[in-house]
Amino acid sequence: MENGGGGGGGGDAFGSSTAPLTWHDFLERMRHPSASDFVKSIKSFITSFSNKAPDPEKDSAAAQEFLANMEGAFRAHTLWAGSSEEELESAGEGLEKYIMTKLFNHVFASVQEDANGDEELFEKMALLQQFVRPENLDVKKAFQNETSWLLAQKELQKINMYKAPRDKLVCILNCCKVINNLLLNASITSNENPPGADEFLPVLIYVTIKANPPQLHSNLLYIQRYRRQSRLVSEAAYFFTNILSAESFIWNIDGQALSMEEAEFQKKMQSARAHLMGLSTGTEGQKPEPSQDTMERGLGLMKASREPDNTASVEGQHAPSQSYVINQDVDGKDKPLANRLSISDLEKKGTADLLKDENISRCFQDYPFLFASAGDLTVDDVESLLNCYKQLVLRYVALSRGLGSNGSLPLPNTQTPSRLQTVKNSAHVVGTEMKNEYGEVRRKTGSSTEDLVLQMDDTGEISS
Amino acid sequence: MSSRPPNLTFKLVLLGDGRVGKTSLVLRYVNNVFSEKQEATVQAFYLKKHLVIEGVPVTLSIWDTAGQERFHALGPIYYRDADAALLVYDITDNDTFLRVRKWVKELQQMASKDIVMAIAANKSDLVRSKKYDIQEAESYAATIGSKIFVTSAKSGTGVDEVFIDITTHNRYVLLYTTHCFRPHTLWSPVKASLGSLCERVVFTD
Repeated sequence: MENGGGGGGGGDAFGSSTAPLTWHDFLERMRHPSASDFVKSIKSFITSFSNKAPDPEKDSAAAQEFLANMEGAFRAHTLWAGSSEEELESAGEGLEKYIMTKLFNHVFASVQEDANGDEELFEKMALLQQFVRPENLDVKKAFQNETSWLLAQKELQKINMYKAPRDKLVCILNCCKVINNLLLNASITSNENPPGADEFLPVLIYVTIKANPPQLHSNLLYIQRYRRQSRLVSEAAYFFTNILSAESFIWNIDGQALSMEEAEFQKKMQSARAHLMGLSTGTEGQKPEPSQDTMERGLGLMKASREPDNTASVEGQHAPSQSYVINQDVDGKDKPLANRLSISDLEKKGTADLLKDENISRCFQDYPFLFASAGDLTVDDVESLLNCYKQLVLRYVALSRGLGSNGSLPLPNTQTPSRLQTVKNSAHVVGTEMKNEYGEVRRKTGSSTEDLVLQMDDTGEISS
Repeated sequence: MSSRPPNLTFKLVLLGDGRVGKTSLVLRYVNNVFSEKQEATVQAFYLKKHLVIEGVPVTLSIWDTAGQERFHALGPIYYRDADAALLVYDITDNDTFLRVRKWVKELQQMASKDIVMAIAANKSDLVRSKKYDIQEAESYAATIGSKIFVTSAKSGTGVDEVFIDITTHNRYVLLYTTHCFRPHTLWSPVKASLGSLCERVVFTD
């Protein structure tokens, strides 16, 4: 049901905070003795799938119908007597999540056609992400912000962590929301007109190519088929349509679509393929990896405060696709990259996230002196306190540099936190060591994502 | 529940070349109503507008689309199930009018046959000194059964008019306003025979 009033369905779709409550409420009600008939039909619906060959069209129609019927039955049942629309909506969400989590293995990428599509799309994006530049897609300079777009990529890459259609959809919506906010900020700081679809779609396409989440094709089909149709409306429908449109664009991409000669496009695709083959045989494989790792960690650290349990698995899962992230376009390095999120913006954002975090104390458990007062300290603490301080400074400076702030320390941004922990020498030594490694990377592979950040630093046009 | 007025929700897509001012046009239209609120943090790709046409409450959900030529082929993904299309061109740039004609042709082939179209000749504030000529555009609009509106997102000229016109000409709104058609009060077998027409009526709670 489309809610005409203020918030609308789309607003709710973004708010994942209500999801666990919805879920527990649903399970709670299903445990009630009077719900036994519901439980029976849910179970029989789920088992009806187990001995059938997958047929996406029929399965999707059956699931949609079952969800609709059950929602109608909930509405008429005493368990929900006097319940508000929101509570009934929650019950519907809970049911959808339950059913689809159980059916996931049966219906997700279950036919060869879908699996083939996944493989093809993944490979295509792995090639494209090596040479496509924002300007190939009409992203105006004022709106270019590759470092911050990594945040949007991260959101999209979470899509495979979830089984429920709604949760997957929320990953897409969050990705769109990050892009939207970045575009808005950019338009304000650069006095551009407010961003519209002309600005949004190219960035979404770019972010999708760079994120290249495995099985994107199947994920989109799955949402289309199994997200209850009446809830795929409003803003959620708009953004979902946009990612379908991005997928379609990527499938059909050619030279013209990227403002280049077809011959040049084919050549770039070929050399990208050659490069990938090179990577997969392992000759240069380990070179881009450490730098990628840094990127992941740089962002991972920020996210860790919000989602301590999830970060590790995302990174593990997406490492293969991420290692392809390479920027070969030397032109890119002369482009001014204004309007990137400054360290203080990130800090503000992080603070806001932390305040929302229920397990906030866990985020600080590695910093034993944070809540100490001067009187608690003994002479014995001085050494560890000093160590902590040094680590913190090194991490902060490295991160600042990694995120593009124009610091004056010689530390290059390729430093990972863990590396800093092991190298207990002076910042200068670390700096030299990393610089050598960076030089090698550059000579061997042209450039990587890490180089990209360095290129940004080199331009000297960073707003911080 | 059925005593409350139903809420008709329509999907309107904005089609127009890049830089013809689609986004500004829709922001102008939607922000006029919320002018006391500062909506700087609201995106302009997807907007909702509530309006009342002759006593019938209508919600427009306005879908912006990317207008650059390279994204042209993606159009159908957006307008396939649209109730209305607002075609925008830059009054000072004839190429953008040719794009409009291209879209109209496609819409006639691929969109719903009930789709309502209107054309906005935008950026009229840029030609205040000169006299602009929209005769050709006007007669073209007539051949496709729609109207042309000279608009300026900057001054606000013609903006409300074009959105109201497009909503008023919606088939369901016409049924309501001219024939007092109230599908939700119908006997259910009649309702069933009318099919999708009744489904478009969405009840607010």
